[in-house]
Amino acid sequence: MYGELGNKLVQHAKRTLTLPHLPPYAAEIIRSMIREVRELDRSVTSTLTSLGGSIDPSSDPATACQVLVNYLCMRRNKRCLLAYHRVRADRLEEMCWSGVDVLERSAAQRQEGASDAEGSSLSPEEEEYARRYGDLLAAYKGQWTDIDLTGPLEPPRDLFIDVRVLKDAGEIQTEYGAITLTKNSQFYVRQADVERLIAQGYLQRLS
Amino acid sequence: MDIDDILADVSHDATPTETRELQELTRAWVAERVAPEILPYPERLMENVLERIRKQIELVEEQTGNMDPKANFRLIILQTELERFKFLVRSFLRARIAKIDKFPIHHLTDTSTISRLSASETQYLRAHHVLLSNHYQSSFLSQFPTALQRLDDTIGGISMIDAPDLDTAVFCRILRDLGKMLIEGKDREHHRELDLKRGEIFIVRWSSIKESVFAGDIELV
Repeated sequence: MYGELGNKLVQHAKRTLTLPHLPPYAAEIIRSMIREVRELDRSVTSTLTSLGGSIDPSSDPATACQVLVNYLCMRRNKRCLLAYHRVRADRLEEMCWSGVDVLERSAAQRQEGASDAEGSSLSPEEEEYARRYGDLLAAYKGQWTDIDLTGPLEPPRDLFIDVRVLKDAGEIQTEYGAITLTKNSQFYVRQADVERLIAQGYLQRLS
Repeated sequence: MDIDDILADVSHDATPTETRELQELTRAWVAERVAPEILPYPERLMENVLERIRKQIELVEEQTGNMDPKANFRLIILQTELERFKFLVRSFLRARIAKIDKFPIHHLTDTSTISRLSASETQYLRAHHVLLSNHYQSSFLSQFPTALQRLDDTIGGISMIDAPDLDTAVFCRILRDLGKMLIEGKDREHHRELDLKRGEIFIVRWSSIKESVFAGDIELV
């Protein structure tokens, strides 16, 4: 049925919005949708050529309606595809902003999933997009030397915070000397020094 | 509104530049976060603020070795202030980027909007748009019939270009007596005249007060 795949894809996109991770790219549905569009386009073209390139809607309402419906289906498919890709691209951008290494993660997933033939959850185009967006973001960020644009958007309350080390993170340099972060130890440190490590999951903030 | 704002209202000229700039930055930040469309980039203000942040960082670095407890205490205050400034700037820039990302084609085609962006923001907008359209192209659009490959189609009754809703309601505070102003309703019967007196707060459509906000007569809250 026309449009059914589009519906499915939009449902996928809708679900993606509420999921914490990015589900696998729906390559199969997208391929079928592209096929559907091409078939519709062929049918429209053949109808039009058989009529000599133009239709008179008043004399032949049935054909005119058929062409119109086909057109609308193509446009709808396009909208569904755009929406799906935009949702995923937005998610990738969000990951870039929050400092998650998208490519590394997808590569890791691929290695894990190699046995069950699951593959990466990203399409090759999406990987490319994530990589280039990361570069773009780095370029834009680089113009603000003193301010880390990807920093937290919560207003800062305290200069110093209590943190607990969740994973060994080695030694870090701060203005107050070096600290060695070993697992399960607890420190009272300057927030700006450890923000990155909190975001990466090495440290946990204690309230 | 905090005590600084009240004081500033009373004696605007007496406040030092630093305090005024902080106020301006806070105001720009609040406005950017609530306005539906992107606001003019405060070039001069941002330059000054960034310059001061840089100086302050230098100062902090210079004094870090100092072990005098008094100096240390001062340093903590300096750093706290610095973090807050950085947060304001960061949040402000991020709010702008979020808007830029949301309506890329609208921003690219609307000349009045693009003039409100800073040079680097314009650059980012263009680069991001190219990236996104390439992504669509390579993912599926290139296999579409050519007539359907455009991203900015306006035929068929629906425009593909999303634009911010300029008629959303915003909260605003009047900064200067503006006299009577006609606020347009959805039709003639709903037009209303408001007497805009200083200090009053209204909820109105963004489109009807937009010009006054740009002129600095009204602030968003």
